[in-house]
Amino acid sequence: MLKFTHQQKQNITSFGTGLSAAVLLIVLLSLVFFIVLKGSAYFWPSQVFKVTTYESGAELGKPVDIGRFVRSASDIDVFSQSIVDKLDAQFANATLTMPQVVVEKVEDVYQINMHSGAAIHGFFEYISTNENTYFSLDALNDVQTDVELLQEELSGIQNNHLIQLHRNIASLNQNQVSQDAPARIKEQADFDYWQSRADILNEKINAYRLVFTDAMGQRFSLYLKDIERLFKPNQLTWVDKLSYAAEKMVAFVSESPKQASTSGGVFPALFGTVLMVILMAIIVAPFGAMAAIYLHEYAPNNKTTSVIRICVSNMAGVPSVVYGVFGLGFFVYTLGGSIDELFYSSALPSPTFGTPGLFWAALTMALLTLPVVIVSTEEGLRRVPKGLRSGSYALGATKIETIWKTVLPIASPGIMTGVILAVARAAGEVAPLILVGAVKFAPSLPIDGEFPFIHFERQFMHLGVFVYDGAFHNQTNTQGSSMMFASCMLLLLIVFVLNLSAIIVRNKLRDRYLRI
Amino acid sequence: MLKLFEKETLSLDKLSDEQTALDVRDLSVWLNNSRVLNNINMRIPKNKITAMIGQSGCGKSTLLSSFNRMNELNQNYAYSGEVHMDGRNIYNKKENVAKLRTQVGMVFQRPNPFPMSIYENVCFGLRIQGKTERRSLDDIVERSLRNAALWDEVKDRLFDSALLLSGGQQQRLVIARALALKPDVLLLDEPTSALDPLTTLHIEELINQLKRTCTVVIVTHNMQQAARVSDYSAFLHQGELIEYSDSDSLFTMPEKKQTEDYITGRYG
Repeated sequence: MLKFTHQQKQNITSFGTGLSAAVLLIVLLSLVFFIVLKGSAYFWPSQVFKVTTYESGAELGKPVDIGRFVRSASDIDVFSQSIVDKLDAQFANATLTMPQVVVEKVEDVYQINMHSGAAIHGFFEYISTNENTYFSLDALNDVQTDVELLQEELSGIQNNHLIQLHRNIASLNQNQVSQDAPARIKEQADFDYWQSRADILNEKINAYRLVFTDAMGQRFSLYLKDIERLFKPNQLTWVDKLSYAAEKMVAFVSESPKQASTSGGVFPALFGTVLMVILMAIIVAPFGAMAAIYLHEYAPNNKTTSVIRICVSNMAGVPSVVYGVFGLGFFVYTLGGSIDELFYSSALPSPTFGTPGLFWAALTMALLTLPVVIVSTEEGLRRVPKGLRSGSYALGATKIETIWKTVLPIASPGIMTGVILAVARAAGEVAPLILVGAVKFAPSLPIDGEFPFIHFERQFMHLGVFVYDGAFHNQTNTQGSSMMFASCMLLLLIVFVLNLSAIIVRNKLRDRYLRI
Repeated sequence: MLKLFEKETLSLDKLSDEQTALDVRDLSVWLNNSRVLNNINMRIPKNKITAMIGQSGCGKSTLLSSFNRMNELNQNYAYSGEVHMDGRNIYNKKENVAKLRTQVGMVFQRPNPFPMSIYENVCFGLRIQGKTERRSLDDIVERSLRNAALWDEVKDRLFDSALLLSGGQQQRLVIARALALKPDVLLLDEPTSALDPLTTLHIEELINQLKRTCTVVIVTHNMQQAARVSDYSAFLHQGELIEYSDSDSLFTMPEKKQTEDYITGRYG
């Protein structure tokens, strides 16, 4: 039987508790570190390797698979694994020949970033233009200016002539003007003229191409107009890499996702998240604060009130997907369906509000975060010194005036804390949002120039849902998953900033009102 | 002899209605189902300082709070009896309680300035009355702060937070806040118990000056203070009004044995 002295017991206790705290800290830090590491890989230009697979043997035999450019060590693993699988299938009954993989780092390989979001690698050959002449890369800037001028001309024709003419013809069609009416013939002739000019321009633009060879030495060409950027990833200096990463970060928060959400940016998701969260805060803040004021200031101190309080606290523990199902069943089907019947009956059976959308998502999230706001507002109200209330009453203030002028300003840090906690929660929630309006790709933003400018019934994109979707579809694809990690990092950053601002605002308000 | 001339004592039994600020008739108060005040009858003279003394829990603060109906903020509260002021019963159902409290101001034991500027603290009651005209507010703020003997100390920082003031200054600010409403009666609930002796002296001087403009009722644990400041004194014990007379006679030759025991420190 071990016996410890008093001093030893104390040491063991302090060591044990300290260890737990240290483990907690390590877990937290490694989580953040891992997400940041994985996420920043999305912005950092990676090295490119040429991989060729040969039959194994004493000497390198024939290549069995075409050479390929890959970007990182993990890609090489995936690449060679896929070849092993392929060979296994091919020679199922023959002798198993293990392939040998040769990885080379080639210095002058180019990375071509396309406007579509794709990244292609190859060795540069030449630039071909409409005059059937070939240029070296030095002429790239001049050639690019040519293409830009041509494109300007083309868009000028489209905007100034073609669109208007097309509209005129459409209106003639609508008015059922006959095919051989002179007005129609004139319009049609104009249209054909400008269309042919546009076609010529298009041809000219398409003649500008960049020709590359791939890892196996085969040529391929790319339209110059499709190319966004051209650089040698294996020869970048630190400064180049940093500026590349900075540009990519700007693009990440300002562009739409491309290539099935594996490249491009997350602007629509960021926008949708912020808009939904703002809407939710507008709904939940007054509602929650008023409920808390009633519970704390007006409700009699009896059993019913404590039962209500317990219910409110328990509401915070209800699984969020339950709120999602409730939002779908009540808000979308019942409320939305009735709104459609009452106000949008002409559009039925296609639903307007009777379908998941921004407003229902905000309402569901407001319901979900209501307990947080109520509890922290009540906490704030409880902190108001009793003397201030009596002081206010003694100066002839009524109950409402007392609450409005003395109690609420002092309770405002509590309300603030509640709202921002709610905002942070809503920014990170996924399950209910999938059910009530967040989608993985929305064709248009919920706010645009079209009347009524903010479209409550539209579906929207949300960062949490975007991360969920990215993770779900890239379980084996490491290349695509780096965007998911980057979005995860952004989500983490948003929640972190929101929490930090909550703490700052609360401390400021507390300094102002509670130094007694 | 000199003191007698100064104080010009009235006989409490023969107060006329004009000389009476508050007339308490058969007042009993229950808090949390226990009787705190039992059949109190007393007349509080106008423009005089009346002190309430007695040990803790004897009901003097409750009696004070009955004069502006602050007791009603307690949850389990019941009363019977009447308090008359200016010829009307303030416990009448038609009485406007908010307006009553502007006529009967109150200052509490702990200074409780609002977390606003000094200026806004003094204006608080006026703004609730709907007075917003800047010039008249300025005038009232200056007058109230002068009356509360605080003007010289704060005139250069009227718009600083009131919470930056010292305890004694805060208590005078709270008094100024009550004075801004020009109350007929000012109730002081142990106004100096949280303050140091020198500040206490300041506040006592201030109270002495206040009786020119209003009736002052003060609750205190400090016997010397009651003797120094007040014109009349009431001794309460376990919810009963034991003795009520002018301070000189109450403190020099009390009629009741209980009073004598208390003021000589034999109990309480």
